[in-house]
Amino acid sequence: MRDVLSPFLAWKNLFRDPVSIRDPLNREAAPRYRGFHKNDVEKCIGCGTCETICQNGAIDMVPVDGFDPKNGDSGLRPRIDYGRCCWCALCVDVCMTGSLTMSNAYKWVDADPDAFRFIPGVDAKSWDGSEHGYVCAEGHHLTALERVPMDEMEPEARISNFDEIVAGYDVARAKLEADRCVSCGLCIATCPAHMAIPQYIEAVRDGDYERGVALLYETNPFSNTCGRVCTHKCETACAVHNEGEAIAIRWLKRHIMDQVPQEKVREIVGKPGPATGRKVAIVGAGPAGLTAAFDLAKAGHAVTVYETRHAAGGMTRYGIPEYRLPYDALDRDVDVITSLGVDIRCDTRIGRDVAMADLHAANDAVVLAIGLHLGRSTRIPGSEHAQVKKAVDLLRQITDGEAFDVPKSAVVIGGGNVAMDIARSLARLQKQIHGKVDVTVTALEDLPHFLADREEVKECGEEGIPIFDARGPQQIVIDDAGRVTGLRTWRVKSIFDDKGRFAPSYDESDELFHPAEMVIEAIGQASDVSLLGEALTEELAWNRGRIAIDPDGRTSVPWLWSAGDCVAGPDVVHAVADGHRVAASIAAVFAERSDARE
Amino acid sequence: MTGRATSSPGGSTAASSPPIDLSSGKYLKLWQGPQHPGITGNMSVELTVCGDEVVEGKTHVGYLHRGFEKLMERRTFIQVFPIVCRVCVPEPDFNEYCYAATIEELAGIEAPERALWIRTLILEMGRINSYMMYLGGQAGALGMGVIGQWTTYVRDLMLDRFEELTGARIYHMFILPGGVRDGLPDGFDGRMEETLREIERTLADVEDVMFHNAVFKKRTKGVGVIPVDLIDRYGVTGPNARAAGLPNDVRKDHPYLVYPELTFEPVTGTDSDMYTRADVRRRDVAVSVDLIRQIIAKMPRTGPLTAKLPNVLHWKIPRGETYVRGECSRGEYGYYTVTDGSGHPRRINVRGPSYTHAMALLEHLIPGTNIADVAALMVSLHTYPPEIER
Amino acid sequence: MPEGKGHAKLKTLTNLREVLTVATEFERTARDFYTALAPKVSKSIRYLVEELVAEEQQHLDLFAGLAGRADVEAVLETEIERPASDRKFSDCIHLPDLGDNPDDQAVLQYALAREHAAMEQYTALAEATPPGALRNVFVFLANEETKHKNELEAVYYRVVHSGGV
Repeated sequence: MRDVLSPFLAWKNLFRDPVSIRDPLNREAAPRYRGFHKNDVEKCIGCGTCETICQNGAIDMVPVDGFDPKNGDSGLRPRIDYGRCCWCALCVDVCMTGSLTMSNAYKWVDADPDAFRFIPGVDAKSWDGSEHGYVCAEGHHLTALERVPMDEMEPEARISNFDEIVAGYDVARAKLEADRCVSCGLCIATCPAHMAIPQYIEAVRDGDYERGVALLYETNPFSNTCGRVCTHKCETACAVHNEGEAIAIRWLKRHIMDQVPQEKVREIVGKPGPATGRKVAIVGAGPAGLTAAFDLAKAGHAVTVYETRHAAGGMTRYGIPEYRLPYDALDRDVDVITSLGVDIRCDTRIGRDVAMADLHAANDAVVLAIGLHLGRSTRIPGSEHAQVKKAVDLLRQITDGEAFDVPKSAVVIGGGNVAMDIARSLARLQKQIHGKVDVTVTALEDLPHFLADREEVKECGEEGIPIFDARGPQQIVIDDAGRVTGLRTWRVKSIFDDKGRFAPSYDESDELFHPAEMVIEAIGQASDVSLLGEALTEELAWNRGRIAIDPDGRTSVPWLWSAGDCVAGPDVVHAVADGHRVAASIAAVFAERSDARE
Repeated sequence: MTGRATSSPGGSTAASSPPIDLSSGKYLKLWQGPQHPGITGNMSVELTVCGDEVVEGKTHVGYLHRGFEKLMERRTFIQVFPIVCRVCVPEPDFNEYCYAATIEELAGIEAPERALWIRTLILEMGRINSYMMYLGGQAGALGMGVIGQWTTYVRDLMLDRFEELTGARIYHMFILPGGVRDGLPDGFDGRMEETLREIERTLADVEDVMFHNAVFKKRTKGVGVIPVDLIDRYGVTGPNARAAGLPNDVRKDHPYLVYPELTFEPVTGTDSDMYTRADVRRRDVAVSVDLIRQIIAKMPRTGPLTAKLPNVLHWKIPRGETYVRGECSRGEYGYYTVTDGSGHPRRINVRGPSYTHAMALLEHLIPGTNIADVAALMVSLHTYPPEIER
Repeated sequence: MPEGKGHAKLKTLTNLREVLTVATEFERTARDFYTALAPKVSKSIRYLVEELVAEEQQHLDLFAGLAGRADVEAVLETEIERPASDRKFSDCIHLPDLGDNPDDQAVLQYALAREHAAMEQYTALAEATPPGALRNVFVFLANEETKHKNELEAVYYRVVHSGGV
């Protein structure tokens, strides 16, 4: 009987309130609902990682008006096709800047089917201002943000010697670090040499170091050097840099070179091309000159490099201390270049031992890559004293092993890497000779505007070298006996105006005296263009103090090219890029001449 | 165990019948499907009827093939994550769980404790929803439309809970290799409890109106009996097996996630007919309701939600193979994953319980039934063709 | 206003006409000085000197134009106190010795000292003058010289403080 009556209990629902949603068209989704996309296009860097991870191929990176490619920004922005999107939000999870987010909006009616393919943040949408929508849970990252640590010598261990501070990654750590890369390639555009960075990082991941070396040598014959001391602008462009620590691109480059024996590197680089009978002279055996030499030799041209110093390497050898770039690492880079038949003649100064005119006469092309080896002076009172030295001169002496009286106390003027290099080199010598470090650094710039790398400043502090920032040098004080006793400085109230131009103002009431036996000026460098001779100097076109060159590195004099720091300012990897550029230009000119002859 | 079903009327009568001679004019071929026969999705049953009696049924699948297993082989490990849920629409979370668990095992990753609790919660929520669809479908196949309205309503409440927890209603894409995407939102416990009470109230109504119903009993009792000796031979699992008296439940037999820390007993029946299977599922909902309450009470509220993964963009997993299973609302659900050291799965095989239930088992049960019972019989096996054809 | 010392005591008052005459002379001698210097320096830094010539010529034209303006004409005879910086300023009219072949830094340092003296002079004059058209002229001149000095300092930083990595 129950089975007959019981079903009629369904009737009781007649007396219940309806449970349906009264206004289904305006029901708001849950706060973390994965609805339509939003993109903060100002924050977005166009790295395309969203496009890479999208398993539907629903995202295309497209150019957008008002966003030009620049350092660390491709200028592209994601366009999403809602015909393919599945709202899985992996694009949001992986977004390297956190710019790509989702609203909780889920209704969109449009008569135009193409409207559903849109550029979030560019094509205005009603949900752009939505406060709700899916966001990554805190700590949920699909990529690792923290850099794999690198072993370094402790300050106490390193202060008494010139041993290399950084240990280099071992294979396990390098793989972990390489694994953090998202292969977006923003770094390639920023690297002056346009190195195949994501590809060689992939080689590290795969443990295929020979492929890595081959990739490095496609764009940079100074990978041992750049792997240690490159200015690594690539790392400022790195997509990971936005929410975490940039990939240690520089260390990974070094790691590749560390893994492959020199013999194998030479084998990978290969042999010079068949001889063309063309001859090229290069003045200056630094990274720019030798990179040009490398390319030209590979193309079969006979290359002679003239170097005024005892050894090749230019500023990388004579400016950078051994604890940052050991000479044997640099030697390995140079060795590969000479193995291609490049003839490097050291201790040969143009203008003294060989005339420019002779180079011109004996060669089909000449490259000037003379760097910036003249130290600038503040020219404040007392700066002409013998115990006031220029950093570049002292660094050269240290490299060449020339003896000089290491002062018990010294003060360095300058806030760039050269200032750090000489301060730290002197500190080491002081520790070795006097048993005690007494070096002070004073700089015009305040710490936030320091030109030196952050780690240089940090390591300086660790090594017991105080840095007085925002100090304007006024006078080098000399006692009655004619000895330097120290440096007098005023506090710099501001160094740049609101447009970022140099406009120092001093607080004369805030004066400091930095006692020292020696003052070292490390404020800037110039190119020694005197070797050109007066006639060539007059013949050449100049551009604000530097030799004028076209985009290929060719000067106004048809047989002369110029490359590297002397025309582009100091930067090792830029010098490498310059070397490639002039080599390509010279090769092109040679090809034209051959065509003309035929 | 007592009272196991031992007879197999459908199969045995068919076996003793004379051969079917279509040219005799006594038989008629009838296609049921591939448009949804009942609510079980796109497959079809080719029936041979003699009057009202079905003398033969052949199952045909292939209408829903989307090639998911092949798609997975062409995607990176993280890219597989958003597509697995689509293998089974009404209860997608088992795909997410089984996929994530195989990947974690092969890659040597352990999901954090808190994520395991949340995964368990999600799977029980999904189980309730799947059963709600079944109950509505089972009643609907026998002409009782109102039950479907009630169960759809409470299923919708649970979808609201899914929405606020996972950010989506149907395809949650929430259990990813390494953990889960987020913790419980503020106030979730209270709203979940309200939902559970509404489910219990609805379940009581369903019991009154459906299970204490002379018509329903007449149509389902003694019909579609799965003989107990077929259970293992046909790979029958889940409520289909438990209704025959076997306490088969992966949650107990091969404990996973946090089930060892939860108190429950597998629900079984004795008669192995359509009525018993429906009743087992109805009572199973109550078990899930209780499990959710236990989870809410016991789960840790702080701690990491995901394990640290390698960079997913070039995640390679060493050579290996593994099988991970779980007890879904239809029985044993499993992923067999093979990796070869590359950035893509070498092979993934999805074991959906519907494969055996909807094909071989149904073919065996159909002969001898009344044509009016075929749709209800299909539903009573609780099969989802999307998981037959990955 | 600080009390002038030395020669300033000899004549504490001057007028705008005199100031303008001295200022114009200041620019003229500078232009001529740089014009003569240009061929002496290395071609590599000649741009610096040539830019200074152009700059000074521009100032010369500006001051010459000022004298002809009606509002300025009206206040030309106004007497004002001679500022302390006057001496330094006047000194700059005398030709300095930069040697035969000065380098870029020497040229820049010299030019900076000149601009600095001029800037101080006009600033002091503006401060010594009651508000009105006359004061506006001094403020204008002071601003011009300040701008020029700022430009030169930017050049100085780029030239001298470059190359330090």
